[in-house]
Amino acid sequence: MRFIYFYSSVCMIIFFSASLNAKEALHELIDRHVEQKAKGLAVAAVADDLEFLRRASLDFLGRIPTLQEQKDFLADKSADKRGAWIDKALASKSGAKRLADFFHIHFMERLGDNPQWREYLENSFFENKPWNVMASEILKGKRSEEQKSGAGFFISKRLENYGQNPVDYSGLARDVGRLFLGKDLRCAECHDHLFVEEYKQQDFKGLFAFFENTYLKDAKTMLVAEKLTSKKLEYASVFKKEKKETGPRVPGLMEVSIPDFPKGQEYLVPPDPKKKFQGVPKFSPLEELSKTLPDSANTSFSRNMVNRVWFFVMGRGLVHPLDLHHAGNPASHPELLDMLAKVFEAHKYDVRWLISELAKSKTYQRSSRMDQKLPAKEFFVYGLEKRLSAEQLLASILVATGRWNKDKPGEEPSFPEALLQKYMKAFANAAREPEDEIAFSLQAALFLLNDSTVLKLLEPDEGSLVAQLEKIQDERKAIELAWLSTLIRKPSEYEVRFALEVLKKAKDSKYKVLVWGLLASSEFNLNH
Amino acid sequence: MNKMQKCFSKEHNISRREWFQHLGVVGAAGMFSPAFAEAIKKKDKQVMFIWLDGGISQLESWDPKPNTTFGGPFRAIPTNVNGIHISELLPKTSMHMDKMAIVRSLSTKDNSHSAGVDRIQRGDPKNRGVTYPYIGSAISKLMGPCEEGMPPYVWIKPMNGGFISKDAGFLGPKYGAIAFGDGKPPDNLPRAQTVSKELDDIRKEFRAKLDLQYRKGRMPENSEAATAVFDMADKLQQRLDLFDPANVSAKDAERYGTWDLGRHLYLGRRMLEAGVRFVKVTSYGWDTHGDNFNGHLSLVSKFDKSFAALMDDLHDRKMLDNVLVIVLSEFGRTPRINGHHGRDHWPEAWSCAMAGCGLKKGIVSGKTNALGTEVEGKSHDIGSMFHTWFSALGLDSASLEYDNQGQPLPVAHEDEKAVTEVLA
Repeated sequence: MRFIYFYSSVCMIIFFSASLNAKEALHELIDRHVEQKAKGLAVAAVADDLEFLRRASLDFLGRIPTLQEQKDFLADKSADKRGAWIDKALASKSGAKRLADFFHIHFMERLGDNPQWREYLENSFFENKPWNVMASEILKGKRSEEQKSGAGFFISKRLENYGQNPVDYSGLARDVGRLFLGKDLRCAECHDHLFVEEYKQQDFKGLFAFFENTYLKDAKTMLVAEKLTSKKLEYASVFKKEKKETGPRVPGLMEVSIPDFPKGQEYLVPPDPKKKFQGVPKFSPLEELSKTLPDSANTSFSRNMVNRVWFFVMGRGLVHPLDLHHAGNPASHPELLDMLAKVFEAHKYDVRWLISELAKSKTYQRSSRMDQKLPAKEFFVYGLEKRLSAEQLLASILVATGRWNKDKPGEEPSFPEALLQKYMKAFANAAREPEDEIAFSLQAALFLLNDSTVLKLLEPDEGSLVAQLEKIQDERKAIELAWLSTLIRKPSEYEVRFALEVLKKAKDSKYKVLVWGLLASSEFNLNH
Repeated sequence: MNKMQKCFSKEHNISRREWFQHLGVVGAAGMFSPAFAEAIKKKDKQVMFIWLDGGISQLESWDPKPNTTFGGPFRAIPTNVNGIHISELLPKTSMHMDKMAIVRSLSTKDNSHSAGVDRIQRGDPKNRGVTYPYIGSAISKLMGPCEEGMPPYVWIKPMNGGFISKDAGFLGPKYGAIAFGDGKPPDNLPRAQTVSKELDDIRKEFRAKLDLQYRKGRMPENSEAATAVFDMADKLQQRLDLFDPANVSAKDAERYGTWDLGRHLYLGRRMLEAGVRFVKVTSYGWDTHGDNFNGHLSLVSKFDKSFAALMDDLHDRKMLDNVLVIVLSEFGRTPRINGHHGRDHWPEAWSCAMAGCGLKKGIVSGKTNALGTEVEGKSHDIGSMFHTWFSALGLDSASLEYDNQGQPLPVAHEDEKAVTEVLA
């Protein structure tokens, strides 16, 4: 079987290399698909350089661009400066850190953090490790001290008790289904899904069977272990009480057969009751999962990741919501999704390449603004608004207010962990709530309004934005600098006029008020 | 309606629209239709939810069984409604019975605090692998803020406050509670000392103007939502007077009592008047496993005074037509008296007291057996109460559904029905 898959992927590479000839790169193909569906609709113009730079910096570096970066980009007259910028950003340490941040937020959903896990993610994205390799390392779980990487955190964190609740094995199975396959099987835990034909209880139970014998050995070191799996998982629907059973199985794939070892030979390392050691069984469902799930035989695996990357870059999934891939909820551009999934696989699950191609498309680079009535989001004919994470917002506020330590060029803004915690409290979702929608909260508004850490940034101490503005004689010039530093664009004449009025009214505190308003605006608080 | 409750400023409509936009409904009559939104808006119904944490004893309150094996030392007294008796620990409340509705046939599932507090307040719906919202978050989602634009769900409680997003469950953090710990405003609500009132107004106006600019040529929903929360922050900030103990008259302090529950119910009433949709007031310490009778003598007597003052005020201000008052715990207490003169957890047969909006007045529904150990006749799980409250507030809970990213979820347990006997 394995040979056939291998063979078919080789064919696919040949096939797509042929269709992706020198004439048409993937980003051009993407535009063709999007434009085809949007036939007859008004389409936003391609964004100007600063709009592009703000969006791309937030997306791929995790912050707004500095004034110097803006100048450099505008001064660059080369034809493909956007493409070059994208590739440089994605290959940089900062780019890898941003991807790690995004990935952490979306795969851990604020359950907790771990420096080794972060390091694992940053290194993996910096090396551009293929997604199937990463997925395999993550799903394997850390089962021996020798595994040094922090990849096991995804599993180990989910095997912790939280509060007085027992370990949420169902939650772990659900999360793997959602995040790695794009299928939220929670409704299929107790019966076949009532509305989604293809989500069956046996799918949930099959996934669940990979984890039912797993347990956490040590939360600190992320070490997990498995008890002996010697028989199938029994279950029954709450509607029809008839007994069924399944071995570990990834939805859509064959069941993993549970080997039948002669008694006494089930263990690699036998249990030792004296030392309260439960032994290491020869058969490891986690190992099987890490091999079978991230495989070309599993189309859901590549479709899910392509859709998540599309969401990351474009602000909305082709399949939306991200966790509901099924026939009743087709992609907005079904052929595009099929095509992307296939080329992603053929390109050996190269995440950086995929992001880069998406970002080089006109679809990504369109303005978020249109003169005509805006078509529905799923047409992707204008730049969609994206939520800023607490991390992106904090870094951007520091850059805007001139608090970025510029002594070390090439390095990203650093800030005390306690400050980030404050921003997370104000802007992040609670644990287990995906941050895939834009949500403004009262808490966030009050934080921006009155928190001392925010207001302190507006003080005119050396090098700060407010100090710079105060040194400028011409108020119009100061207003322009304030706009460029925060909103990464020049103000319109109308905006200059009402800003001048604000300056007049706010007297001695004029630039504090001006900069605060800009930082608290929706334009600053969203990526668009 | 009190004058203070009227406010017709235009910008609140924005937040209302935002609140309605993700709401689904079964059948043809969509909640998206302006007619439906209008219907709810006109009523502007509110809720006062009083949570007696740990479990008030039904036998020492709403369902006394004097002179029986488990009845305990307290007598039952007549109320101002013929034939209805409640515990003698509630003399003042007994004079409000003509405005109240008591359900004595609750029978619920959890007898542990950790599970019960959650399950009761989430309505214990069928398990669909999602965390349901607490009743306060549910109302905040289903009904949105009132016209005044104040936050829809506030929680007044002893000890710490803050923004409690866990109450919202799958609805997401913006439907969580704002908790006023010890009746104090949350962090960052009072204007920073370094910002004068004048500058504060200038900066907020400037911010709003920037958002108007931003909206041009873009979908308005997100910047409108941002503006709505800033407006809400502003509305709440303008009512800092509510939190100032100096504003409580000696007379009110005397009437409500100076203990936590008294001060907090008074603040709760003022929050209702200020236009908060759902006010939850929590009182802790009701878990009387030992010395239940002295405990309840003290706790219920205080409750009686504070609650009766609240009822007086709601009645005098004609607020009971639109305010639904609910008194609840996670369970009742065992009829059997344990070796420490205490009563333990008893979800099998207990009571919920209510008053106001959408309910009959002066009625008791359901009953327990002579010893108070079990419900006689039809019993009601918490899902029934959710249906009852939703109905009282004019929400059709049998057909209303949440739309959880495509997953339709009934707002209350679909196998349960409202206690129609108490509905007006």
